[in-house]
Amino acid sequence: MLLIHCPHCNEERPELEFAYAGEAHIVRPNEAEQAEMSDADWSKFMFIRDNIRGDHAERWWHAHGCNMFFNAIRNTVTDKFTMTYKVCQKRPTEHQIKVAKND
Amino acid sequence: MLFDQGIDIPEALSGDALNIALEPEKARFNVRVKSKDVAAFKKASGFKFPVKIGATAKTGTQLISKFGPDEWVISDDAKSREKIAKKLSKLAGQFVMSATDISHRNIAFNVSGRLANEAVNIGCPLDLSLKSFPVGKATRTIFENAPIQLYRSGEDTFQIECWRSFAPYMVDFWTAFSRDIA
Amino acid sequence: MTKFRRPGHGNVDVSKTLNFSFDGKSYQGVQGDTLASALLANGVHLMGRSFKYHRPRGVVGAGSEEPNALVAVDRGQGRITPNVRATSLELYDGLKANSQNRWPNLKTDIGAFNNTFSMFFPAGFYNKTFKWPASFWDKVYEPFIRNMAGLGPAPEHPDPDNYASTYGHCETLIVGAGPSGIAAALSAARNGGRVILCDENPELGGSLLSTPGVQIEGKFALDWLAKSLEKLRKTENVRVMSRTTAIGYFHDNFVALAERLTDHIPGVEIGPAREKLHRIRAGKVILAQGAIERPLVFNGNDRPGVMLASSAQTYLGKYGVAVGNEVAVFTSHDSAYEAAFNLSDSNIRIPAIVDIREDIRTDLKEQAEQRGIDLFLGSAVSKTKGKHRIKSIEVFYPNTGSKQMIGCDALIMSGGWTPSLHLWSHSKGGIKWDADLAAYIPDQANENCVSVGACNGDFGVAAALNAGTKAGGGRKKFNTNEFDFGTGISLDTLPNYIDTSKQKAFVDFQNDVTEKDIKLAVREGFKSIEHVKRYTTNGMATDQGKTSNLNALQIAAKAVDQPVEKVGLTTFRPPYTPTTFGAVAGYRNDQLFEVTRKTPIDPWAEAQKVVFEPVGIWRRAWYFPKKGEDMHQAVARECKATRESLGIFDASTLGKIEVVGPDAAKFMNLMYTNPWNALKTGSCRYGLMLREDGYIYDDGVVGRLAEDRFHVTTTTGGAPRVYRHMEDYLQTEFTELDVWLTSTTEQWAVIALNGPNARKLIEPFVEGIDLSRENFPHMAFREGKICGVPTRLFRVSFSGELGFEINIPAHYGRAVWEMLFEAGQQYDITPYGTETMHVLRAEKGFIIVGQDTDGTVTPFDAGMPWAVSKKKKDFVGKRSLARPDLVAEGRKQLVGLLTEDPNVVLEEGAQIVADPDQPIPMDMIGHVTSSYWSEALGRSIAMALVKDGVNLTDTDVYIPMPGQTHTARITAPVFYDPKGERLNVV
Repeated sequence: MLLIHCPHCNEERPELEFAYAGEAHIVRPNEAEQAEMSDADWSKFMFIRDNIRGDHAERWWHAHGCNMFFNAIRNTVTDKFTMTYKVCQKRPTEHQIKVAKND
Repeated sequence: MLFDQGIDIPEALSGDALNIALEPEKARFNVRVKSKDVAAFKKASGFKFPVKIGATAKTGTQLISKFGPDEWVISDDAKSREKIAKKLSKLAGQFVMSATDISHRNIAFNVSGRLANEAVNIGCPLDLSLKSFPVGKATRTIFENAPIQLYRSGEDTFQIECWRSFAPYMVDFWTAFSRDIA
Repeated sequence: MTKFRRPGHGNVDVSKTLNFSFDGKSYQGVQGDTLASALLANGVHLMGRSFKYHRPRGVVGAGSEEPNALVAVDRGQGRITPNVRATSLELYDGLKANSQNRWPNLKTDIGAFNNTFSMFFPAGFYNKTFKWPASFWDKVYEPFIRNMAGLGPAPEHPDPDNYASTYGHCETLIVGAGPSGIAAALSAARNGGRVILCDENPELGGSLLSTPGVQIEGKFALDWLAKSLEKLRKTENVRVMSRTTAIGYFHDNFVALAERLTDHIPGVEIGPAREKLHRIRAGKVILAQGAIERPLVFNGNDRPGVMLASSAQTYLGKYGVAVGNEVAVFTSHDSAYEAAFNLSDSNIRIPAIVDIREDIRTDLKEQAEQRGIDLFLGSAVSKTKGKHRIKSIEVFYPNTGSKQMIGCDALIMSGGWTPSLHLWSHSKGGIKWDADLAAYIPDQANENCVSVGACNGDFGVAAALNAGTKAGGGRKKFNTNEFDFGTGISLDTLPNYIDTSKQKAFVDFQNDVTEKDIKLAVREGFKSIEHVKRYTTNGMATDQGKTSNLNALQIAAKAVDQPVEKVGLTTFRPPYTPTTFGAVAGYRNDQLFEVTRKTPIDPWAEAQKVVFEPVGIWRRAWYFPKKGEDMHQAVARECKATRESLGIFDASTLGKIEVVGPDAAKFMNLMYTNPWNALKTGSCRYGLMLREDGYIYDDGVVGRLAEDRFHVTTTTGGAPRVYRHMEDYLQTEFTELDVWLTSTTEQWAVIALNGPNARKLIEPFVEGIDLSRENFPHMAFREGKICGVPTRLFRVSFSGELGFEINIPAHYGRAVWEMLFEAGQQYDITPYGTETMHVLRAEKGFIIVGQDTDGTVTPFDAGMPWAVSKKKKDFVGKRSLARPDLVAEGRKQLVGLLTEDPNVVLEEGAQIVADPDQPIPMDMIGHVTSSYWSEALGRSIAMALVKDGVNLTDTDVYIPMPGQTHTARITAPVFYDPKGERLNVV
């Protein structure tokens, strides 16, 4: 069972309190964008996800805690969390991920 | 009696080493206030909203716990329910906020005694050392399959709340535990 | 005193005699024995039969690595534990144990014919043989395999014992309480953090217990041990746990410890936990698991009486038991000499030490000479003799080809040592090949973890103590007086003059894998060690190859002609040793396996002898049979009473979410297909929720409490996922909205009243609400009081009758229900359950999400275009409703079905075809989603999803069932009161 650092609680908490919520940084098109989107583009937004070997940006939900969704960089090979950050923050750069790994 | 929490605590759970008691009827309100308004809200309401997630503020019978970035739960004696409801309703006119009565949603247990820590840890994966979980801390967490609220009111005293329908599961768990502490 | 007990040796209490039975025969042991040591003390070596060939087998090890001596322990009905290692089984007075894999008894075993025909049972035999003809599977192969497979008897009764489980935390967890583990604990304890020291054995001390002659800091091992343990036990921040096996090491230093609490206590009654699972989160883990001696792979190495040299040393040092009177030694490593000398010094004759090496340390030669032991250097054992116990060995000297028989009653062997990497590997720590040890040792750690002592390749007591101390944060260096552990060599094949095909050289004793099998697997093309493992089953028995993996690896590496380090090592997986299901479950057995959520009204229903059904993790009243009624009769009665007068139903499980904030309506507009702006305070509306892919996700009635407040209801099972779905969009997509969600499912008990007399019943109890038809119309919603408590009263109907849903604060639920029920007697009020609720709604064609929809149904498929706002520019699922697949022709649509024979109630899930005469495979055009007997209509009704169903209205379709094909006509899905007149009875 992993320990996950919740960026809102600012604590490491047991994985049991959390739920995985899919890939991060996939932004839902607004109504204007939706209207303009081709079926192909819409289906790409809906159904196509990266299957990354290595550092993956993903969403987690602190369901049995502060109730907040947040993002994480997690390595899909080692399962380890490198860092977690709030939904409003941008995907960390490779450099930031590297720095976090060495922490 | 109309009021019925629908749960009995077996005698085996009333001992010196471990004592589990049902808390009486309470008033509970879930309150959300936008972060930027909290200071003004506190001033206008007089509610002692704690700042950090996991922190609590106790004033007389009233306990205010902060569970999420913009989420607090006010709990108090049942008789103050109307008063708090009125106050929140008035505040709702002044602030962008949400207040919801959840008085009957939860059942509260008082878990005390030398084995209180263990009675929590048989189902809850949090580290309950005083360093990690000091007196006064409150959080939502999990007790095996039951989502719970955990509040430490003393070194050897916890208050555990769960949704009403999960209460028998909690009591059954502690009853099983009581076999091993005789 | 039994024959092989050596008084003055061992840490057992010979004054306490224990009676026990093995295979029905009575024996005596002493306090502190294991079953294995007690049997050996009685001269019994034959303790089991092997899995495949049923060969007679004796004990090989002295601890949890034991592959052969597996027994079943009988503690009474339901309390039979199979596959217990006799070497770890603590003896107690009255112990009853039985050997396994034999019939009728251990000495005469029918299954041993497999042994006679072993040339026909090579690696992959089962895979190759039991393939064809297919008709043989059921009748021939499966019974045969079942009969032969499995180790020990499976228990036939439920386990009556109780188990416990807990979480725990510490700064330092030390696994293994040998010299390195104890030293680590002593030094870690000084830092003040919480320390847990666990060991799988009842007695802590590890190898020190086997070598009591060793001196540490001038003290004999046992004295040093006693003092150290006392110190640890007195230290407040240290927890010492014996009989506690670290069975698995998981992410972020999460380690599972299985503690055995009562198995060693004679006649223990069912009550307190038998075992306890500790789920420990540790800051740092120190692995001090030790090493396991490696058997030598030679012809006849599985004969009872052949065992590891260190085991013989343990039996003598720890239990005071001589493994024989004439103990020969066969080794490729110096460490076996210590065992030989220990035994010799206790008056056990050592007729020979056979060493594969031509040259050995001079001090060993000298010490052997002093003791008068014959040394056979550069030699190997080529053969062993003896039926149920070894009688003699043949020593072969390859340089001259000479052979010599030597009599013995035990042969102890050492092929070097294998550091225990099990937990290290669970933690995904890296490993590297150590050529000197001919073994893998830990490399880079993957967690905050260190490996110390023999499991790290630090052999010898001083090395272990020093490494443990360092890992615990100390610097002390220890002085010891110990036998120089020395070195050894490792050969993939031992010299023998007998043709390999005629040899029986076992690698994996428990799974009967021989050297030949591994070579055969490689010849047949299995090059990866993971494939070799699975094909030969080497290392796949209950011991997970603790004694066999490295031997197998070396043989396979040689066969593929690759260096061992290139071949790699098979994966170790939890549990480290076999673990009971009880320990894994802990407290979570029976009613604690999963939560059963009960409503406030549940106790009332239970008292009525209701039949419950599970709905998600809720239990709900299903139907209320009266005396003599079956389900069909009860449901028919409940339906009739509700339609004719009044039914009462517990709807408390409905999910409820309070949506509050100035942007509440905007949010609702985005989450539901329906429009919400125009919904007036005090009104409610059916809401339909889609996922982003356009398919129906949930539905429910939503009431508007205020401009900025909605009372949303969800399906019972959907409540958690709907809440999550809403929170997700709110927090991550519609972040600009000022609105908050609070789950109020359990704040409210909900009583649904349906039937023409519903209003009449509640009228006298309601305060502050005008219930008149005009002022409280269908789909209206009011707040007031009922029976003196606050209520949110909905005028809604899921039955088509005049209906109310009374929400009251949960702790008042039962009282209000009982008051209404009592007052309802004048209307013959009838409690009904979920089955009647389903029938009533199906008569009206109302869908149940998850029954009539399955995650591929759009609102248009479900015949609900009216629920989808055309004006709204956006809502979740809107864009997807225009996806080509979702607007294509020929989608499955929800329709009604009326069977030609009104008495036939179709099976839900039954497939529908257009042409009953089409040969198989037929084209299936849909399936039945709901099907009931309708008492109101006096016939069966059904709903179905049928391809292009709406266009097929009034045509016949067919439902082929075993023995008979039913005909049904497609109709509109509303069967009863299509105009909805009954909602408005006066």
